[in-house]
Amino acid sequence: MNFLSPVAFAFLAALPVVIVFYLLKRKRVVKVVSSTLLWQKFLAETQANAPFQKLRHNWLLLLQLLLLLLAVLALARPYFSSKMVGGRLIVAILDASASMQSIDESPTRFEKSRREALKLIDSLHDNDQMVILQAGANTEVKQSPTSEKAALRRAVQSAVVTDAASHLAEALKLAETLIQNNTRAEVHLFSDGATGNLAEFESKNLPLTYHHVGTRAVNIGVVHLDVRQNPENPTQRAIFATVSNFSTNQQQARLDLLLDGAVIDVKQLTLAPRESSPQVFLATQEKDGVFTMNLTAQDDLSVDNRASIVSLLPQPIRVLLVTHGNRFLEKALKAAPGVVLSIAPQLTETSQDFELVVLDNVPPITWPTVNVLAINIANTNWFQSISKIDAPPIVDWKSSHPLLRFVSFDTVQISEALAVQTPVWGIPLLESPNTPLMLSGEVDKRRVVWIGFDVLQSTWPLRISFPIFIANAVDYLNPANSHTQQLLVQSGQPFRFALKQPLQNVDVTLPDGTKIQRPVDAARQEFVFGDTAKQGVYQVQAGTNQVAFCVNLLNSAESDITPRPELQLGKYARANATTYRQASLEIWRWIALTALLVCLFEWWFYHRRTA
Amino acid sequence: MSLLTPELLRRLEQFQLLAQRRAKSSARGERRSRARGQSVEFADHRNYAPGDDFRYLDWNLFGRLDKLFLKLYEEERELPVTIFLDASESMSFGEPRKFNFARQIAAAIGYVALCGFDRVSIIAFPEVGSEAALRGALRQVRGRKSSMEFFRNLSQMTAQGTANFNDALRRGALMARQTGVAIVLSDFLDPAGYEPGLSALVGRGFQVSAVQILAPEEVNPSTFGDLKLVDAETGGIQEVTFGKFRLSGYQQTVRNFCQRLREYCNARGINFFMTTSDASLEKLLLKQLRESEVWG
Repeated sequence: MNFLSPVAFAFLAALPVVIVFYLLKRKRVVKVVSSTLLWQKFLAETQANAPFQKLRHNWLLLLQLLLLLLAVLALARPYFSSKMVGGRLIVAILDASASMQSIDESPTRFEKSRREALKLIDSLHDNDQMVILQAGANTEVKQSPTSEKAALRRAVQSAVVTDAASHLAEALKLAETLIQNNTRAEVHLFSDGATGNLAEFESKNLPLTYHHVGTRAVNIGVVHLDVRQNPENPTQRAIFATVSNFSTNQQQARLDLLLDGAVIDVKQLTLAPRESSPQVFLATQEKDGVFTMNLTAQDDLSVDNRASIVSLLPQPIRVLLVTHGNRFLEKALKAAPGVVLSIAPQLTETSQDFELVVLDNVPPITWPTVNVLAINIANTNWFQSISKIDAPPIVDWKSSHPLLRFVSFDTVQISEALAVQTPVWGIPLLESPNTPLMLSGEVDKRRVVWIGFDVLQSTWPLRISFPIFIANAVDYLNPANSHTQQLLVQSGQPFRFALKQPLQNVDVTLPDGTKIQRPVDAARQEFVFGDTAKQGVYQVQAGTNQVAFCVNLLNSAESDITPRPELQLGKYARANATTYRQASLEIWRWIALTALLVCLFEWWFYHRRTA
Repeated sequence: MSLLTPELLRRLEQFQLLAQRRAKSSARGERRSRARGQSVEFADHRNYAPGDDFRYLDWNLFGRLDKLFLKLYEEERELPVTIFLDASESMSFGEPRKFNFARQIAAAIGYVALCGFDRVSIIAFPEVGSEAALRGALRQVRGRKSSMEFFRNLSQMTAQGTANFNDALRRGALMARQTGVAIVLSDFLDPAGYEPGLSALVGRGFQVSAVQILAPEEVNPSTFGDLKLVDAETGGIQEVTFGKFRLSGYQQTVRNFCQRLREYCNARGINFFMTTSDASLEKLLLKQLRESEVWG
């Protein structure tokens, strides 16, 4: 047997006090009376006879000592570590996403959630088990199933809120797995509901209790940030930012643009309720640097008021076009900014000197090691089965993808295309009912854009969308650009960095100035850094190479701190915020303490009324 | 110490002890008796026998009937009044002391009896050797002029020692040559009870009146807490935890005790009076005793 709070044994000091009380009680006032006859008769009528009287007093003392001992023992909380059957399994999910930093609850939404979770722990029965999950960018098991409340409290106390967007679906899936085959399980979600779509999580029978926090939505934040070459003036950089007002009131804000910490531009913004305002800044840049957007506003969530982006100066891109002749493609490639174009009928060994290879209807003998735009190439390594399909209609395209920015396929017809199954490495960008027509993805650490039809056998080259797409594709497949994109990391997501030479360790300087050293897996030639829970500019020193990367929230779902008393789970299920669940809060400590006080009070009262 | 005020004495002179039975004493007194003798109260006639005193012949009847009859008169005898006075240690308690109150009652009854030419004996118990002469002087007192001496002796008595109530009454009953009025003045707080003693008096033919005198403290205690009570007479120890919350219980016990005594007395034709030592003496003497026809 062990004790959870052996400190309570200090109350044993009260034992001598009770004994002293009884010693005091023995001291009687001697009084000579005319006769004890009446008193004897009185006592005989009201009490038991004399010998038992004396014994009874002793019993009273013993009983009181016993009571005191029991009370102290209860306060010490003894426990046996044994297996018991039939307890509930409770999975508590603490949302530790950025929106939980909102200060509309006192002091923050996260702290309130923490308090409620602690209350839930207090209400546990002895044989209940509980799991603590912290849902940030990743779901972290803070405490595996246990009945030990101290451990559970420690786990909840150790949870920290992150700057990352939450993936509640992941946490809910984990919770669902944990409570499988357990009929007496409960899932308690402590969240503000500011999360991405939970449509992917479809479970109607999850015993979910949603402890909702959040009272109001007063927030304005930067939800998108990008830096590019100014299309109108290539010597300038254009910084695109989207500022959203998630409040139901009009908001005033000041938006500062900083380059390497120095303010270079300021804008005053007035945003209507729930308005998103795209902002463009133009700046000249002499060398690689970090642009920072700093939003000054009176709002509840400060984490989205600042966003940074690394801007590298544009480098010319050498493109090899392997074709038997395609004037449209040739012209479109030449028109793309910064392109140094070479044309060859066959892929040769010299392809290593180029940053991008465009394969137009010419299957290569050896595959290039650089980024590839492959048009109408039937590569059997990439697809399981390849067939032909006539006049596939275009039904959908992913206009949100950077490749298809400003690209429309409304009036494009295709006479013939390759019919393939969507492979695991690629995401379909352009789709017909039976086959993807365009895929983008990463194969062997290089970017690949695959177009499943001969553009000359379609009306696409005649449309304005074609040169735009080619420009987008060059931009997307430019290794310098993809490198730039790698330098913009969403908080909680890992930062990946290809190493040019094998290294033992890489030094990382965190936004708060802390320096940490991480070992590198030499075989992989890649450095992966996952501790990106806090946003800001991180410096990486890999050998002689110094790289800065920026971690930002940039998530409108997370910045939208509107209280959501209802969570939509999948298509049909929903979870309503609970008013508090029937909880059996543990109050035995207070009762035991009261028993102790009553025990002491009893003697005092006994004497007071007889005095 | 003056036991009774002159005013009270003056009023007591008007009373006479009422005897429910004819006096059986052999001594002459002022009480009617069954005995025939010389008095002014005519009782009967009887035939003349030679040797009779001519003075008592009824000459009117002789004139009418020509026969000699002798007039008989009721002999007036004295009424012995015996006062049993509890002088034990327990009587010295109370504020005012129970014994003082008992002495005042004894003095009053004694005075009324002396005024009525009755023989008064005070039997104080327990026997105390040092006061033997004093107590002897309180036996067989007669005549009004003895009253001053009677009061003085009474006021010099003290209450001490352990009494045996029953034994004292039984012996008193046996020792009395003539029965008469018996007054018992005590607190009746004897561990052995009071029944045998009172029975002995009634059985001997006494006309008994019992006056129970309790101290105010005994009826309504004012000492609370954890008490170790010591019996003044027996030295017995009783531990008791007494609080205000138990006061009513105690008072009920006292009432029960008194009620049992009263019922016992009523069942045996004993006049019973219960009083506390701080009660009004005048009220007891002039009202209660009179209403109960102890005197009139």
